[in-house]
Order: sequence, then C-alpha cells, then structure tokens
Amino acid sequence: MSRIFILTPLIVLLIICIFSLAYLLSGKDPNKPPSALLNKDVPFFESSSLYNSNNVIKTNDIKNKKTLINFFASWCSPCKIEHPLFFEIRKKYPELYLLGFNHKDPTLDAKKYLEDDGNPYHFVGVDSDGLIALEFGVFGLPETYLINEDGKIIFKFMGPLTKDVLKNEIEPLL
Amino acid sequence: MSSLVGFLSLVFAIGINFYLFLSRYIFKFQKQKFNLFIRFSSLLTLLSFFSLMYAYVVSDFSNYNVFQNSHSNKPLIYKISGTWGNHEGSMLLWLSILSIFSFFFSFTKNIDENFQRLTLIIQSLLHILFGLFIVLTSNPFLVNSITVNEGLGLNPILQDPGLAVHPPILYGGYVGYSIVFSIAIAGLFQNTDDEWLYVAKKWSLISWTFLTGGIALGSYWAYYELGWGGWWFWDPVENISLMPWIAGLALVHSLMMVRGEQAIKKWIVFLSILCFSLSVFGTFLVRSGILTSVHSFAADASRGIFILLIFFIVTGFGFLVFLLKEPKKSGALNLLFINKVSALVINNILMIIATLTILLGTIYPIMIEVLYNKRISVGGPYFNATVIPIMIPGFLLMSIAPILSWQTNKIQNSKIYVLSFIILSVLVLIQSYFLDFNTWGFVGLILGFWIILASIIAIFSSYKVKFTIKFFQMINPHIAHIGVGIAIVGITCSSVFQKELDFNLNEGDKFNVNGKTVLFEKIETTNQINFQALRGKFLFDIEKNQSEKIEAGKNYYPVSKMITSEAGILHQWNKDIYFILGDQKNNEWFVKVLINPFVSFIWLGVIIMMYSGLIAVSRR
Repeated sequence: MSRIFILTPLIVLLIICIFSLAYLLSGKDPNKPPSALLNKDVPFFESSSLYNSNNVIKTNDIKNKKTLINFFASWCSPCKIEHPLFFEIRKKYPELYLLGFNHKDPTLDAKKYLEDDGNPYHFVGVDSDGLIALEFGVFGLPETYLINEDGKIIFKFMGPLTKDVLKNEIEPLL
Repeated sequence: MSSLVGFLSLVFAIGINFYLFLSRYIFKFQKQKFNLFIRFSSLLTLLSFFSLMYAYVVSDFSNYNVFQNSHSNKPLIYKISGTWGNHEGSMLLWLSILSIFSFFFSFTKNIDENFQRLTLIIQSLLHILFGLFIVLTSNPFLVNSITVNEGLGLNPILQDPGLAVHPPILYGGYVGYSIVFSIAIAGLFQNTDDEWLYVAKKWSLISWTFLTGGIALGSYWAYYELGWGGWWFWDPVENISLMPWIAGLALVHSLMMVRGEQAIKKWIVFLSILCFSLSVFGTFLVRSGILTSVHSFAADASRGIFILLIFFIVTGFGFLVFLLKEPKKSGALNLLFINKVSALVINNILMIIATLTILLGTIYPIMIEVLYNKRISVGGPYFNATVIPIMIPGFLLMSIAPILSWQTNKIQNSKIYVLSFIILSVLVLIQSYFLDFNTWGFVGLILGFWIILASIIAIFSSYKVKFTIKFFQMINPHIAHIGVGIAIVGITCSSVFQKELDFNLNEGDKFNVNGKTVLFEKIETTNQINFQALRGKFLFDIEKNQSEKIEAGKNYYPVSKMITSEAGILHQWNKDIYFILGDQKNNEWFVKVLINPFVSFIWLGVIIMMYSGLIAVSRR
C-alpha cells in the first residue's frame, strides 16, 4: 500500500512529462490557438477603401476567388517585417486576391506607410475602430487569413509571415 | 570583452562543478579544499552574471542579448534590471542564485562533513544541468553579428521599480528550494540521524520568505501596472508560483512539528522534493513558451525540451531515491482527535490537495489541447470554486493549532475561545446585516478576524509579555498567523466588497466618488526620457483645503511602440481609490474608478508573514 503511495509521484511525473513533450513536439504554439473560425464561413464585413471612402468592399465581393486577408497597421513593427513577402506572393500568385485591413490607424499614417514601403494589396480596407478584426477574432497584429472560393477560412496565421510558413503551409493550399 | 569574461567564467564554473561531482567517485578531496572549490565556482558564476550586467550598464550592443533587450536611453535601474528582463539573462540569474545558496551552505557549521559534501555535490549536479542548459540553448554572451549603435529596448511593461527587484527575490525562493532538495536527498542517502531536519528547516524558511516576497511584489505590480483593479488573476504564471509556496508552507510546518516521527520525516522528504520539482516545473512552463503571459519570452522548442529533460531528471531522481531509500524506522505518529499532530496532518493534507488542484487546473489545458486539439482556458472561476473551499477548513484549524497540546485532546482556556468566537460571529453578522450581505464576505471576515483574535488570546494567555528577543521568538507562530488573518480580511474585503464606478468626462467636470467631490482638472502630455506620458489629473475631495492629487493615464514607449496603462491610486488606510483613464470618444474621456476596501491589509499581512519567516530563521 505504502509503495503505491510512494510510486504515485513518479507516475504523475511521467504523465506530466509525456503530455508536455507531446505538446512541444506537436509544434503547437500558445500564441496560435486553434482557431474557432477555421473551416467556417468568413465573417460578414463591410469596409471602405483607404483611398476612396466611396469604394466599399463586402464579404460577397470576395466570393469565387481565393483571398488572402492581412490585418496590418503602420504602428505595428512586425508588420513591416512581413510586408515585402506580400509583393512576392502577388508576383508568384497573380490570381490570389490580396485584401489588407488597416487596423486602428490614422489614415495619414496608413497612407504614408504604404507609400514608403509600397502597397502590395489589391484593396486596402479601413478598420479604424477594430470591429472587423473583432469579427475575425484577431489577437494581435499582424494576422493573416486564407479564404477559399467557397468563402471558408482555410488557414490562419498569427504574427509576421515567414518564407517557411508561406512555403510549407500556404502554398500547398493555393 | 565583458561578454568573453562572462562566457569563460560561466563555462569554467560548470567545469569545476563537473570536477567536484566526479570527486565523489574518483578524486578524494579534503573538506577544506572541497569547500574552496565550491566557493570558487560560485564566485565565477557571479562574475559571469556581473559581466552581463556590466554589458547592460554600459550599453555594449556588441552583445546580442544587450542589443535585443536594452536601449541606451533607458534609466540606469532598468539597464540593470534588463539583465534579467529576458530569457537568457534570467536563466543566468537562476544559476547565480543557485551558486549563492551553495556558497553560503558551504559555511554551515556543526554538521556532518559527509552530509554537507553530499548536499553540495547534488547542488553541483544541478549547477551542471542548468549551466549546460544556458550554454547550449540560452547563451547570453552571443556576439552581435552586425555593428549597431542602438538597441531594441526592454519590454515597457517591465520598466517598473517593483518589477525590477521581483525576479531576483522570487528566484531566491524558487532556487532556494534547490538546497532543501539537496539536503533531503543527501539525508536519504546518509540515512544517519535527524540532524538534516534542522538544517533543512532553516533553508526552507529562507526560501519560503523569499518566495512570499517575490509573489507579493509580483501581485502588487499587477495591481498598479496592469490597471485592472485586481491583484490576483489566477494567471498560469501566478499559479505556478503559488504551488511551491503552498507546498513550502506545508514543509515549513512539518519541519517545525517533527519530533522524530518516521511518517512525518518521510512526508518532509516528499515535500522537499516536491517544492523544488514544482519550482523547476514552473521554470519549464514559463521558459518553454507553453504558456502565454507577460512572463514568457521568445519561445523555442529545443529550450523547452531541454528544460523538460532537466525537470524529468531532477524530479525523477528525487522521487526514485525517495522510493528506494526510505528513512529509518523510528517513532510512531501520536494522532489524537485534536492535538498538534493531527491538526498538522489535516492541514498538510489540505495544502497538498490545494496544490494538486492548482496543478490540475494549470496543466489541464495542455492535456486537452494535446488530446483534442482544442484550446480551453481554466481561469478564476475554477480556482475560486475549488482552491478557496479547500483552504477554509485549514484556516479554521490554523487559528487554534498553536495552542493545541501534543499529548492530549485538551485545549487550554477553551471557554475563552468559544465565547470570543460567538461574540465575533455576532458582531460580523451585525456588520454584514447593515452592509450588503455576501456569504463569501461573511465567511472571509469571520475567518480572518477569528484567526487574529485567537492568536492574540493565545499570546496573552500563554506567555508573559516581555519585550525581549526570546519573547518575540516564542510568540512568532502566532504573529505569523495574525499576518495571515490580516491578509484574509484584506483579500475578502477587496474582492467581495469592491465597488466600480464609470464616468464619461470632459476636462473641468466634477463628479462624485464615495460621497466626495472629485474634479477632473485636465489632460496633460509630457515627454520623459524613454516614453511619452499622457496623464489625467484629478483632485480628490475638493471641498477640503488640502485635496489629494491623483494622476492616471498611459505611457507610450516609442522604441517598442507599446502603450502601458498607469493607474492612479489614492492609498488610504482602509481603502484604495483606483483611477483608470480610458479612451477618448466624442471629446469625452472614459474614466473608471474602483473602490477597493482594505487592500493595504493584504500587503501588511504579507509583510508580517515575511517578518515571521525571518524571525523563525533566527530561532534554533
């Protein structure tokens, strides 16, 4: 009886270590929770263009084409890091529709940012109050979503995109 | 240059420890020589640590770690604290504190030479493991491959005086348990007499006192920096510091009460291993990036696996020795219905259940995510509903435990206790009747006040009041419990009776808080050395001649492009009035005011507990 009592800590230790190891090896990242939106319809949104407030984009406008949605802001320094990658994506996949949402940013700053670093997006929507990001469940900038032709979210990435992620996770879906 | 010195001394110190570890089997040292080597390796490790600190102070951006985490504009104190404000540096701090503990332990007198040496060899083993971890996965002395003249800055949320000293003190607790662990294991191997128990008591008290201070500093920081009005959030990182704290509390009590009983000795060994295991487990959880919080630094899977391995080796080794080498048989447990020993056993069981409950709540999300690929979060509601009820009987028992007898069921002066408990209950009941009645508030207040009252009665009925050191040592257990009682009153009032008021205000508006008129003077922006400050200025109680000034606002740190909130707190002895400045909308500012009654009691209680810890260390 007392042997079992003494063995318990070792058994508990083993269980904890196995689970922790499984967690570490599975490549999970607490910053990337499994998204509740994955494989769901893209949330409804309506946003006007950064350059022309009469030009509005809605959820229905991105139906029937693959779309990469990227939330960014001029004040977000990791966004700057991933920014050049979108030019590469646009060059390599001309079919892919690049939709940028400018998140909680003063218009002038946003325009200046895209002037300095270039504008890779087909459309830049304004999300000044962050409501669209809320619908998408954005945790922090930057965040990127891939939407398929049926309007379903098939991929989500938190943090700056890297070449590895592009090659291993996004390209197979394109 | 300083990086090179730091790296070499770090590696050299690990080498010495390796040498010492082998010395048990290959080389035979005399005691003096052995201790000298231990001290030398400790000093080398400290040299390594201070080299890193030097690199931070002089903003030596040729060191990659400094480049990543510092900025030349920072005030000196944050350059210094920047040394441990990052993963690599904080692991070096970990190792340095381990060395300091070994250093001081090597001076312990009047203990068996072999026992001391064995303890230090186990410390050496720990030094080697963590040293290799630093060198192989988290080297703070990497050279920056590009030439730069400015760094990237320290996380602004960490730029706070309270938080600057929080990690070293907290680590004093975590790492301090390493020596308790080593003592217990050495005690098992030697299996001679009970001397190790007295040695372990002193060190576990030191560690526990540090841990208490570290946790309190952390929650005080959360209270005024995070701007949420609370001081405890059941955040995973808070939980993992609470687990060794509770287990350490059980350990300290067992060590105080042990009178040679075999079962308690076994239990003490178990707790000693558990405390350090929980500390290492906490380090693993934070460092592997499994958890997200302000504490987790850039995650890296290889680090996580390495430190998991250390956790597995240390804990596995500890419990394996525990399994194979049981303490010698002697003395049976003198359990009665209600005597000191049975109260201790019940309390220990409760504390361990509480620890396991917290452990389960902390690792459950990991298990669920591995099994079902779903993210769940276990938070406040779970812990409040489980941990608090488990602890309540323990608190009740605590109020009378010091006056229980060793041998009999009798309680001295039991009539006074019963009578005062009844009077107290009636008073609290009347008080709750006139204020809003709340079950938890009622229970908490009775518990807190009862512990204070019972301890005071015990002091005056059992001892002659004399202002000598000996007297304070004698009544120390009661003092510690009074501290707990005061803290419980503070915790209860500040959480149950907290009031929240929301306002939308223009500059110059007057508004009413708790019957006092407050003037929202103006909004002011100023430029500080490393941030821009936005402050709402308030005048509290303007009818009075000398009204109090309160400033609440936000800081913007341009280097890291982060905003931190700075709550404005007016401290009064019986309440804190806590101002939070929100966003501006339609020219109106959103202002939240929280009235937190008796928060200061929590910190007062903690200070008393720490004082008791120190007094207990001084007592043989």
